[in-house]
Amino acid sequence: MADREISYSEAINEAHMQEMERDPNVVLFGENVSSSWRGATKGLKERFGRERVRDTPITETSFIGMGVGAAIRGLRPIVELMLVDFGLVAMDQILNQMAKSTYMSGGAVNVPMVLRASYGAGTSSGATHSESLYSIFAHMPGMKVAVPSNPYDAKGLLITAIRDDNPVVFMEHRILGRTKGPVPEEPYTVPFGVANLVREGSDVTVVATGKMVSLAMEAADELKKETSVEVLDPRTIVPLDEEAILNSVGKTGRLVVVDEDYERCGFSAEVSAIVAEKGFSNLKASIIRVASPNVPLPFNPTLEKQLLPDREKITRAIRNVMA
Amino acid sequence: MDKETKLKLYRSMVRIRTFENGCRKLISEGKLPARFGMYTGQEAVAAGVSAHLDRGDEIGSTHRPIGHLIAKGCSLKKLLAELCAKRTGFNKGKAGPYHTFDPESGALGANGIVGGSVPMVAGYALAHQIKKDGGVAVSYFGEGASNQGGVQETLNLAACWELPLVFVCENSSPEVQRMLGHEIDYPQLSIERVSDRAAAYGMPGSSHDGWDVLEIYEVVGEAVRRAREGKGPTLLEFKVHQIEGNLEGRLEAKEDEKVWCPIHNLKQRLEAEGTLTPEIDEKIRKEEVTDVEEAITFALGSPDPEPIEAFDDVFVEGA
Repeated sequence: MADREISYSEAINEAHMQEMERDPNVVLFGENVSSSWRGATKGLKERFGRERVRDTPITETSFIGMGVGAAIRGLRPIVELMLVDFGLVAMDQILNQMAKSTYMSGGAVNVPMVLRASYGAGTSSGATHSESLYSIFAHMPGMKVAVPSNPYDAKGLLITAIRDDNPVVFMEHRILGRTKGPVPEEPYTVPFGVANLVREGSDVTVVATGKMVSLAMEAADELKKETSVEVLDPRTIVPLDEEAILNSVGKTGRLVVVDEDYERCGFSAEVSAIVAEKGFSNLKASIIRVASPNVPLPFNPTLEKQLLPDREKITRAIRNVMA
Repeated sequence: MDKETKLKLYRSMVRIRTFENGCRKLISEGKLPARFGMYTGQEAVAAGVSAHLDRGDEIGSTHRPIGHLIAKGCSLKKLLAELCAKRTGFNKGKAGPYHTFDPESGALGANGIVGGSVPMVAGYALAHQIKKDGGVAVSYFGEGASNQGGVQETLNLAACWELPLVFVCENSSPEVQRMLGHEIDYPQLSIERVSDRAAAYGMPGSSHDGWDVLEIYEVVGEAVRRAREGKGPTLLEFKVHQIEGNLEGRLEAKEDEKVWCPIHNLKQRLEAEGTLTPEIDEKIRKEEVTDVEEAITFALGSPDPEPIEAFDDVFVEGA
């Protein structure tokens, strides 16, 4: 079974199919979710009907808030943001209402909702269609944040997200949509807060998420004759598997963090701070971050490429941390 | 309308005002740490709305929530304990007046962001629509919130999807400006009536006096019926005037505010028709005072949360 290969989008689609089949309270809404040309949600309306799979008006504040309310009253909504950047118009509903209602109510209510958001650069789409932004969600208490890097994790993490009794922001990289990988046909879960040791190594730990994982692997391959690189994919940013990161750095003594999100106050800063606070004595060299610099992403492909982490920048960082 | 319903409406308004006057006293004595917007003068709206709601129906409220919560059937004890930041409050002292949630009565919930609860109420309505349980949800907001994007978006969404939802706008302009003690130099609304906006979203809308509980009861009844029958949302606007409360527990408004006082208004009419005798009135008032006193005793005698409890409830357990 595990030999079957499907794409990242197909894996996400299959998670929807199986969970909506299992639980009639799972509903899906967002912009164009009934469309036949969008891989992640294709066929769901035909299978589950227009009552449970609904196209919304282009009003993120109202439909995300509606997800929060529906979740409080017993549905398990999956709410789709066509691109994560569009969520910025709905920050009150995401950061105040979705994330904090459980705490503010002293646990009297909870919000079992998944906010699925497509994200990522590299398509020359400009600064409102290219960002990652998961660090914003991770910053605010009360949301879990999953960032799958491959089809297997995409399906398993999404099923975990749908079954979780808390709000989860589920980040799907735009460019990974067609990437294929082995995915079991039956439903399964990938636990939150458990990092995936993608590649074992002894000289340097590279922590990477989402699309950055495959770039880190390419860099590790390129350097395999000179450096033994360990690649660790946390899979969820909240909760974060600190122990796996600290153990790995405890072994290698060196850390490179690769992060597509903006560098300042972001995921790369958080991982670096944790290791500096709790694993400093194990470090043989300064931590190096490879993240998007604090510049909005430009339209021009040459300029965009200049800013984004890539294999070359990761390779350089690994060499520098080894020097 | 039968006698019982009229007396029920009267009692509901008396209850809210008695409770808020109790809060004023506790605040003046330093026993209630919260500052929040009072509902005094607006009681008819919450009473008239909630008279049509069942426990399984929801309301979404504002940061002037006390009347909404009480009319919806919240326990006075747990409400006052929450306002006093006690562990025995609805939300273990984490909500206060601006975020009170009581899923048991369907009061979900107060909200500290102007217009913030309105999209969430669409979610309550959606849950009813999908479960086909005949429930409705009511969204309270003010004329200021009616300008918020999320409110306008939700009016549109609710109309497009014919959600079982009643929008209740309590328009206290220009009273709010008077209360805030400053003039707002530019107008907040480009129209006279917030309910005029209903037409823009293809739903019925109308405006009414917010101090006439009998009229409110009638128009809300029609909107709730329409929602339960699957015919979609309605936008109702009630003009309200805040009036002064007091620390002595008096329910009567000052002479110059009587015209807007919903309790005074109903009392006169019920007395004239013989529904409310001095004996019945005294009985209702006494019973409500007793309930509020019991709530005060309960709240003040309740423990504070332990400091360590600050870390609880960020997430719920279980998946």
